[in-house]
Amino acid sequence: MIPTVSASGLSLRYGRAQALDDVSLRLTQGVTGLLGPNGAGKTTLLRVLATAVPADRGAFTVLGHDPAAPAGRQELRRGLGYLPQTPGFHPDFTAFEFVDYVAILKELTDRTARHREVRRVLDQVDLAEVRGKRIKKLSGGMRQRVALAAALVGDPGFLVLDEPTVGLDPEQRMRFRELIAQAGEGRTVLLSTHQTEDVAMLCHRVLVMAGGRIRFDGTPAELTARAAGRVWSSTERDPAAKAGWRTGTGSFRNVGSPPDGADLLEPTLEDGYLLTLDGADAEVAA
Amino acid sequence: MTAVLDETPVATHGTGRRSSWSAALALALFEARRLLLSLPVLLAFAVYVAWIVWQTPDFEDGYPALQDADRAGQSTLLLVGLAVLVCVNQAVLRAKRRDTERHFAVLVLPGPWRTGAHALSLVPVVVLTAVCTLAQFGWSALRSGAVGSGSPGELLVGPLTVLLFGALGVLLARLVASPIAAPLITVVLILMFFVAGGFPAGDGERGLRWLTPVVTEASSQTLPASLLDRPAAWHALYLAGLALTLALLAVLAGGGRGWMLTAATAGAVALAVTGGVLQCAPVGADTRAARERASVSPEKLQTCVRHGSSTYCAFPDWTARTDSWADVVHDVQSSAGGTARTQPLLVRQRIDARYGLTADAAIEPSSTPHQVTVGTAWGGNRVPEFSAAVAAVLVAGDEKAAGSLCDGRMVTVMWLALNRLPHPMTSLRNVRLDDSVTGSAIVLSPTNPMSMTAGQTDVVRELLGRPAGEITPRVRAHWAELTAPKVTTAHVAELLGVAAPKAADKCE
Amino acid sequence: MRVSGQVRVGGQVRVGGQVRVARELLLPAGRALPWRSPAAGAGLGLLILAVPRLTDTEPAPWLALVLLRCAILAHAVGLAFLMDDPARHTTATVPTRRALRTAVRLALITPVTALWWTAALLLVPSHIRPPTGDLTLEAAAVCVLALAAGAAAVRLTDAPAPGVSVAAALLFTAVVAPLLLPDQWALFVPPGDQRWGVAHERWAGVLAGAVVLWGICLPEPLRRGPGALRLRSPCGTSDPSRT
Repeated sequence: MIPTVSASGLSLRYGRAQALDDVSLRLTQGVTGLLGPNGAGKTTLLRVLATAVPADRGAFTVLGHDPAAPAGRQELRRGLGYLPQTPGFHPDFTAFEFVDYVAILKELTDRTARHREVRRVLDQVDLAEVRGKRIKKLSGGMRQRVALAAALVGDPGFLVLDEPTVGLDPEQRMRFRELIAQAGEGRTVLLSTHQTEDVAMLCHRVLVMAGGRIRFDGTPAELTARAAGRVWSSTERDPAAKAGWRTGTGSFRNVGSPPDGADLLEPTLEDGYLLTLDGADAEVAA
Repeated sequence: MTAVLDETPVATHGTGRRSSWSAALALALFEARRLLLSLPVLLAFAVYVAWIVWQTPDFEDGYPALQDADRAGQSTLLLVGLAVLVCVNQAVLRAKRRDTERHFAVLVLPGPWRTGAHALSLVPVVVLTAVCTLAQFGWSALRSGAVGSGSPGELLVGPLTVLLFGALGVLLARLVASPIAAPLITVVLILMFFVAGGFPAGDGERGLRWLTPVVTEASSQTLPASLLDRPAAWHALYLAGLALTLALLAVLAGGGRGWMLTAATAGAVALAVTGGVLQCAPVGADTRAARERASVSPEKLQTCVRHGSSTYCAFPDWTARTDSWADVVHDVQSSAGGTARTQPLLVRQRIDARYGLTADAAIEPSSTPHQVTVGTAWGGNRVPEFSAAVAAVLVAGDEKAAGSLCDGRMVTVMWLALNRLPHPMTSLRNVRLDDSVTGSAIVLSPTNPMSMTAGQTDVVRELLGRPAGEITPRVRAHWAELTAPKVTTAHVAELLGVAAPKAADKCE
Repeated sequence: MRVSGQVRVGGQVRVGGQVRVARELLLPAGRALPWRSPAAGAGLGLLILAVPRLTDTEPAPWLALVLLRCAILAHAVGLAFLMDDPARHTTATVPTRRALRTAVRLALITPVTALWWTAALLLVPSHIRPPTGDLTLEAAAVCVLALAAGAAAVRLTDAPAPGVSVAAALLFTAVVAPLLLPDQWALFVPPGDQRWGVAHERWAGVLAGAVVLWGICLPEPLRRGPGALRLRSPCGTSDPSRT
């Protein structure tokens, strides 16, 4: 598949902290998940790719546009939708007004067409009913959907979503997954999240970041496969396990290097993620 | 059994109170640290300390009167006060601005206590201010030329002003939950200082102008501490009462209730009103009488000391300074000739305190023969001014006559006054009103000024350029001619062996 | 599921479209503007000037000048909040440039400020009013300085509402500058002072400097140069507001 986003050697430093350390990646159409612990550099990578902050070193293109030049950045931004980690709103605006405002800033100047577009995205995120309500009267989940609508308006080719499902209840999260899956059809979506289920259910690819670097790049199945033969069940917590916890059935589920003859279990994506991080830690320590 | 039942709830209640207190104290410490480290407060203190370091060595030419030094830093402290006002206001509003209020509102420490903790967080800043004020005052007090005594009330005004502004910041945050309120109040306060500074004694010495935190005076005259009669202690009480009132009102506005709080607020208001009313009362009759006495008949209050043949009379605080005066008199007389070399003089310190600190009144020249007036200030330009007065009295006989000197004798006076000073040319520049060394000019003295023509200035400049050993014998030799009334400048120049001026004497 | 047949409305806009964007933006930007703060500042400014009128006392010319300068300061403090934008992070990466967004805000506030200044001048009786042109220069310099400081705060920090810090900086400057400026740099001279003319040449310099500072702070940087002052990492879920 032809990559829509390709980056090489992105580095960024905040004071003494190396937020991004020589990150290279290629994204294709569909939803790519970005997993990583807090402080791994996920938000920084997303902000760099969304042109909110320039990198210290490295280059990237989105849909063929290079943001290193003003014209390239403008073109890139015309095809970009961005949902920041903590979206801000004008609390006195109605949902419609706010998305309309963002649409104008995205240079949608034909009023009729724009209003149609705003209504379409508000429909798409299920806010048609409350579009005349002031944002300060909306619930947290609804506000998050207003922010998603603002990202989606103008039909961007590249969508950057920074932890969009944080703070949502299970039903809302299901609904959000549906929306993101929809958005991923014919678009490139980069989704940062702490929820491994989101990745397992949505993404055709997953990146794992730690310490400002990409530690894994592959399909969710490949990430899961990393844990094959490394998850087992025991009656006591196994001291050899990297992680282990008592499950509802009373037996222990262990992840790590199993002893001979252990009762192996079917691995999940989360197991693969944990083991990848563990390897990354070991690498950093070394 | 009953006893135990009775005791248990009391103990629980006590613990709750105590823990509220200790929690509020811990919060106050936390906020105080943040307040002290906030950028505006740090900058304001930096400016204040820099100002102390830059200003204090030169304060009153290095011969400070401590009754002036105690209020020298008050105006500059307003900057610290304004910074504290804005910062503490933002600190109280932080919970609202960052949307943590919803969380904090249900925590164990109730809202009013949190407000109280913010008010308490001002204490370290106020203490730091007090330390700076004391350091500045102590620096002045330790100088060898320092005289007089400071007033604890005046020293308290600076720190209490900072406390008052801080309390205003806390109250403002509890009344208006907008971050712009504090900056706008600051503009109003700046305006008030300008306006108050424009009318330093607009309606007399007392009255409503004492309601502003820092009360400045129009006069730069130094008066004996006993004649100042600034109601500094009442003003400090007023400021403390007002600051407490504002802080307690903030706690009330933050939802605090209870009879103790109400009573405390009433007490604080009473303090503020007491201080406020008493400080505004007119200057007492005994102070007026004392000022009149010190101005008209200082001899009744002064102590006189003899140095050599002359007598030096000073107000009690200044007796130590008679040595410096005697040195100047000795220098002038040793350059003179005739009877002037041994003429006993009476150097009397005089002030005009009849207008208090509302205005600088010129001191009338004395018509008593061989009496020289000296003021309360010393160092810097005051030395050549006094020196000029001594020389003028030696030449003209008394101060009144010296004021109307208009002939060649002025050359002798200025040469006598300046030639033994460390930097004669600089002193010549300093003693003249327009800071010039050419042309005609007014010469300052402790009483009425004298005047020099352009020609006299040229001759004096010429004389000061020659070695003293060359001129002194000629002055002594021709003393009678040099000091004879109506002697022309040209003749004086001729007698002293320098070029005569082209223009004739003509006083302006 | 994408809406079929949807037009790339964004694609229409190219060169010259900025004007249309600005026109469309006027109304929502007007709604998004933090009006309350400039209104409070302007209101206080007028109040300061109205008090002598209301109390029927006529201030001396020097006092009239002090009142006008304080009114300017009050208005400038209000303007310091103009760049506050709670939706800043949401609209960080739109194609409409920051310069254009700021220009729209400026276009909205300029007529209001001009009106305000006219009203302020009219509140001072003409015979005690200081030279109008020179004082307008002072007002323009202070107001542009406030706006430029706001732009600098936006450029150098990630804070969505840096207004209060800008206002504090402005006030600090206003208090310290008259105290610390040496005589040969005096800006705050009384009317009738012989330095009035020279001081106002300096005011023109301040205005020019403020405009240049503003110009420098308007564009979004393509590179993080040595002047990148964002020292705090914006990452991590624990510190979302990063202010």
